[in-house]
Amino acid sequence: MNIIQNLQNLANKIYRYFKLWLLMSKNAFMVYILDRFSLLIFLFGKLVRFLMYFVFLYFLVRGTNTLAGYNVNQTIFFYLTFNIIDVLAQFLFREVYRFRSLIVTGSFDLVLTKPMNALFRSLMGGADLIDLITIPPLLIATYYVGSLLNPTSINAMLYILLLINGLLIATSFYIAVLALGIVTLEIDHTIMIYRDLISLGRLPIDIYKEPFRSVITFLIPVGVMISFPAKAMIGLISIQGILVSFGLAGISMFLSIRFWNFALKKYTSASS
Amino acid sequence: MIKLPKKKTVDKYLSVFKISFQQEFAYRLNFIMWRLRNVFQVFLAFFLWDTVFANPGMVIFGYDRAKILTYVFGLILIRSIVLSMRSVDIAPEIAKGDVSNLLLKPISYFKYWFTRDSASKLLNLTFAVFEAGILYILLRPPFFLQNNIFYILFFILSITLAIILYFLLVLLFSMPTFWFPQQSWGFMFLLMVFVDILAGGIFPIDILPSNIQNLAYLTPFPYLLFIPVEIYLGHFNFVATLRFLAASMVWIFILLFVNNKVWNLGLKSYRAEGR
Repeated sequence: MNIIQNLQNLANKIYRYFKLWLLMSKNAFMVYILDRFSLLIFLFGKLVRFLMYFVFLYFLVRGTNTLAGYNVNQTIFFYLTFNIIDVLAQFLFREVYRFRSLIVTGSFDLVLTKPMNALFRSLMGGADLIDLITIPPLLIATYYVGSLLNPTSINAMLYILLLINGLLIATSFYIAVLALGIVTLEIDHTIMIYRDLISLGRLPIDIYKEPFRSVITFLIPVGVMISFPAKAMIGLISIQGILVSFGLAGISMFLSIRFWNFALKKYTSASS
Repeated sequence: MIKLPKKKTVDKYLSVFKISFQQEFAYRLNFIMWRLRNVFQVFLAFFLWDTVFANPGMVIFGYDRAKILTYVFGLILIRSIVLSMRSVDIAPEIAKGDVSNLLLKPISYFKYWFTRDSASKLLNLTFAVFEAGILYILLRPPFFLQNNIFYILFFILSITLAIILYFLLVLLFSMPTFWFPQQSWGFMFLLMVFVDILAGGIFPIDILPSNIQNLAYLTPFPYLLFIPVEIYLGHFNFVATLRFLAASMVWIFILLFVNNKVWNLGLKSYRAEGR
């Protein structure tokens, strides 16, 4: 009976937070719609950047035939997988980019006193409309290029599971950035360093040499986040690789939440 | 207007330089993070090209292993001297109405920002030399050493022109803020995208198909990074080098003219909002 009650409470809680997320996202989207010109500028810039890198990769690998043993379609698929995780994380966690002002002005007090999880509010308090617009075409492109790789249904399923796993690792990165923001008051560059780090996964992790490859595969799990799902789709991942991926996601999530709880105790409410 | 003796004018900007240089040290963590980002960007480019040119004798797109890795390492230094600047703060300054502070002072607004940029460039270049040294020791890339004095002189000239050109571009992309104060960051974001892609900041643009390359050459962006590195690598003959340097100068004159017009129009619409 207790278990059923607990499950029901959990479901209610998830539903309540989902409704809160919808409400906060709606508010964030209204801000974007009010400033349509800005929306167009950023959308145009992001599309140009995405397409030009796509064109570069296409012509590079076509000129060299392979990149670290991967053909054009496979290399493009790595690039698309990187974009899916990057864009989804930015769509969900855009609020992180606005977190610094809450901390330096002491306005974070208002978040802490509300009957809502402070981490949830800081992480997911304002979804990004620009990234939302780019998600459907990105998914279609990934589906199309993925289908050219002739994956088995198991490969495709593993790809989706490892993609979700990669997103969990990205979430723990964002939580760590928030926590670091409370401790050091520095967010802007930290988040950009995170972006630079994960952009190392824009291309197959196999291009990097040891020991750098191991560092960005396991220590800073960019390889696990991005290269492993793409490798699963191509059918190049082992059982050990899959287990390590899930293990690393669990560890990084655990550590980032511990860091967040530690950082909360360091919050001084300065300037409030 | 009272005209100051030349020495006093120089002293004025020298003081701005010194203060700006010291200000860079005020936010040390920010600065270190910014430099760290540059190092990560080098890693991706280095390993990508290292893999493509795994075979030492390979020549693709007109590059051999030494030349392409010199391109990557050259970018660390050229980026630090051409793209490092404080004048990216002009747009938010216009948006917040802070331009008024400087307009009221007996100082040239543009010379003030150019001086601040110079301080930033000196500091960034110092760090970039240090980083390039460390990366060189770690990665041991083959390096193309240009020994033709003319190409070295042309390279220095192209860098000088690139510094002026980028300053004028930042000004141009800052000025729409006079009319759209909310978009101060949006236009700078566009400029950064163009610089990354069309200036050769991520990859040499001659890898792209010729029609896209020709389109890029119609813009001022390749003259910021790509053309200077290519001149150093000796990819162009003397006539082509001179043609590119002349094109760079033409862009500078065009931007000087356009910026002057837009700045005057902008000042007429400027309402010092937020003051």
